[in-house]
Amino acid sequence: MSAPALTPNAAATAPVLQLRGVRKRFGGIVALAGVDFSLQPGEIHALCGENGAGKSTLIKILGGVHPTGSFDGEYLAFGQPARLQSVRDATQLGIAVIYQELVLCEGLTVAQNLFLGREPTHGPLGLFVDHARMRSEARELLGRFGLQNELDIDQPISTLGVGQKQLVEIVRALHQQSRVLILDEPTAALSTREITTLLALLRGLQARGVALVYISHKLDEVFALADRITVLRDGRSVMSAPAHETDAASVIRHMVGRTLTELYPARPLTQASTETPLLQVQSLSLAADKKSPLRLRDISFQLHAGEVLGIFGLMGAGRSELLLHLLGAWGERRQGQVLLGAQPLPWPLTPQEAIRRGLVLVSEERRRYGLLMDSSVGENLSLSSLSSLTRPWLQLLNEELEQARNTAISQKLRIKASGLQQPVRGLSGGNQQKVVLGKALLCQPQVVLLDEPTRGVDVGAKREIYEHISQLSAAGLGVLLVSSELPELLGLSNRVLVLGGGQARGLFTREQAQPEVLLAAALSQKPTAAGAPTVTQEVR
Amino acid sequence: MTSRLAFQDRTSLAMLALLAVLLLLGTVFSIAAPQFLSARNLSMLLIEFSMTSVLALGMLLLILPGHIDLSAGSGVGLTGGITAVLIMHHQVPAPLAMLVALAVALLVWRGMGHIIVSQSIPAFIITLGGLLTCKGVFWLIIQNTTVPVSPGGAPNLLAILTTYYLPPRPSYVLAGLTILVLALLRWRSYQQQKLRGPIDKELQLLSFLVPAQVIALVVLCCGQFRGLPLPSLILLVVALFVHVLLTHTRFGRALYAIGSNEEAAFLSGIPVGKTVVAAYTLMGALVAVTGFMQTAYAGASTTTVGDLMELDAVAACVIGGASLRGGRGSALGVLLGSLVMACLLSGMSLLAVPPEARFIARGVVLALSAWLDVRLSRLS
Repeated sequence: MSAPALTPNAAATAPVLQLRGVRKRFGGIVALAGVDFSLQPGEIHALCGENGAGKSTLIKILGGVHPTGSFDGEYLAFGQPARLQSVRDATQLGIAVIYQELVLCEGLTVAQNLFLGREPTHGPLGLFVDHARMRSEARELLGRFGLQNELDIDQPISTLGVGQKQLVEIVRALHQQSRVLILDEPTAALSTREITTLLALLRGLQARGVALVYISHKLDEVFALADRITVLRDGRSVMSAPAHETDAASVIRHMVGRTLTELYPARPLTQASTETPLLQVQSLSLAADKKSPLRLRDISFQLHAGEVLGIFGLMGAGRSELLLHLLGAWGERRQGQVLLGAQPLPWPLTPQEAIRRGLVLVSEERRRYGLLMDSSVGENLSLSSLSSLTRPWLQLLNEELEQARNTAISQKLRIKASGLQQPVRGLSGGNQQKVVLGKALLCQPQVVLLDEPTRGVDVGAKREIYEHISQLSAAGLGVLLVSSELPELLGLSNRVLVLGGGQARGLFTREQAQPEVLLAAALSQKPTAAGAPTVTQEVR
Repeated sequence: MTSRLAFQDRTSLAMLALLAVLLLLGTVFSIAAPQFLSARNLSMLLIEFSMTSVLALGMLLLILPGHIDLSAGSGVGLTGGITAVLIMHHQVPAPLAMLVALAVALLVWRGMGHIIVSQSIPAFIITLGGLLTCKGVFWLIIQNTTVPVSPGGAPNLLAILTTYYLPPRPSYVLAGLTILVLALLRWRSYQQQKLRGPIDKELQLLSFLVPAQVIALVVLCCGQFRGLPLPSLILLVVALFVHVLLTHTRFGRALYAIGSNEEAAFLSGIPVGKTVVAAYTLMGALVAVTGFMQTAYAGASTTTVGDLMELDAVAACVIGGASLRGGRGSALGVLLGSLVMACLLSGMSLLAVPPEARFIARGVVLALSAWLDVRLSRLS
């Protein structure tokens, strides 16, 4: 790494980056209300706060997205007032930001992405790309970060997993001689193994003198990694302390401004029911299309009314595919059937038909699969339930009913927006997720499929979403919950189905489902004792 | 100031800006060629505007879900050609001939829509193929000759499309009624918006007054000549239909949703494929209607009828604020956009601008409007 390391002596006194009393408004909305922030050389500084607390605005100021002059207050970089006009200025100063949305060219290889825009050239006037040199330098670069086994320089980005893409992005940023690396929720979409690789890389960078700002909602990671923790709330820094002098409870308390005694609402007691299950999946074997090999093999389970059935698995276990298939949006069915109540769900199925029959999906990646980002809150809420708003004549919409229904659901879910007319792009992540949830609930479903319902959502909104999930099951709905966060899955589910390698690796009752047990099942090669073949016979 | 404006107000502001552009165009042309503002010329302008608009409104139905139709222009020629040939060479009554042509257009456009959706081929390619194929079939049908719209110039349903005028007196009554309905609708939406939050009263008033004045002005002008030309009444019906379809029906919501985020729309239960095919089918109907008017206006089906009309339609949409990526646009915007195009074309032909310069001007206006569109969407 060629970043000029600052001497330890200077490190103690001069912060690398410093904000003093920074204020930033977007129209009438105050995003930052006088924030102080200071990043010491070589430290890993975690930034915590609910969505909407101002974290993203803060790092956008640090990274030059909001140029000097668009905010009030002081911004010092490396001891000098920073005058950033653009992201490019920040990059030249050695400040690199890695946002949640990765910006890589999917069709190009790892090496081509690493050298995008600064390819080594040869020939007259540097007209031709020197592919050989680019590949050898890329290989050397990966080696320097100890990633030669994780990434292949010739692999197209589109074939990589999220975690690998993140690594490429980080290496690319550092390759630009960064002295400061800012990461916005880098582990949100990563599997446990990928997180381990990433955290090791970050510690290695720290040892080289790179200062890191790290935004995360996962407090265990924050405490494992960070030297200092700053908490933002309502555009102010409400806490900044060395990590060893504070604890998770205190951080959460500062984030929400109140004490969260119990993150998971009390689960309603489920009585053993003798009635027909709401949803029965019977030895389902699925492939992506006609030519592909099986993605999921012989999956069976039952979902009862009033039950939350958690689905656990590592990245790539096929959890999202299973949910998408149940909605009729993915895959080719080779074997098996799905019963909704006593009726078999037809196949092929469209989401329209699935929703009409009472199945609804809250998909992961809400920006891509869940929301019309530039449309209003109201239009998004109504999208799945337009049929119930349609007057018989000419498909005209009943707009009074729509307005009333949307107002009611947004009050019930406590969606914070300036009105139903506001485009969802302007909402915080938690409120966007509530819009997606509201859209699903307006369909009056029997079975709700939740795919990572709290990803990128702050602690306060998480708790609210948990409450709504348990209200759903209390109201007699069936919930299928896919989540990568074990505490969430264990806190909400009545039973947990573990998927691994395309197969069911066991179905566990709440008492059996200990984190170690689930992880062991997900990692194992064979079904465990409570395993797949007997899943259908399993009684709660 | 601008950031406080709600999204809807901002759109109305863009509309007012377009009106200003129109005024400017009108002023320049009327100074350069005083006959531009003559009742006779304005009446012609209204007919040309109506024909461009009907096609552009159809184009909007496809641009909203992120599609496009490049075959519209040759479709206009083809439907007019089929009708004229049936009337002249096969002695088919005009209404029946028009029905046949309409059926052909519905079938062809539905077919194109079906291919685009089921094979997921870009609309651009299939409709480009449609452009060439329709043109070839068109020329084959009229045998590269000129086929008049009626034998010996006798009036029939096809011929009167652009020769019939609603007399001044009923025109005034119709205009009065239209303005009244407009006022009622405005008042209702004002009341509804007031419930939702603070609004700019002056802008609300302007957004009623301006269209009302435009309608009054148009009718008074046309009254000076022969009354309201039939195409303008056809446009009125089509524009109302498209407007209601887009803003108050499930189909309209689906079009916007598909253009905004097709994957999210699909997962939310919107029948994406069916909606798009239906939009193409509607486009087929509007292509046929435009084809009848355009051919009647030319007096005969000739090889050049409908040439490049698809580009004028796309330009009208883009000038009127529709996004070529889909998800944004309105019927009112398209009307203003096609008025700009019609003014430009009519003004240039009055000033006897040579055709090569006219092509260049049209191209520049199209590129400019796209640039403006990108700038405006960045602002918001």
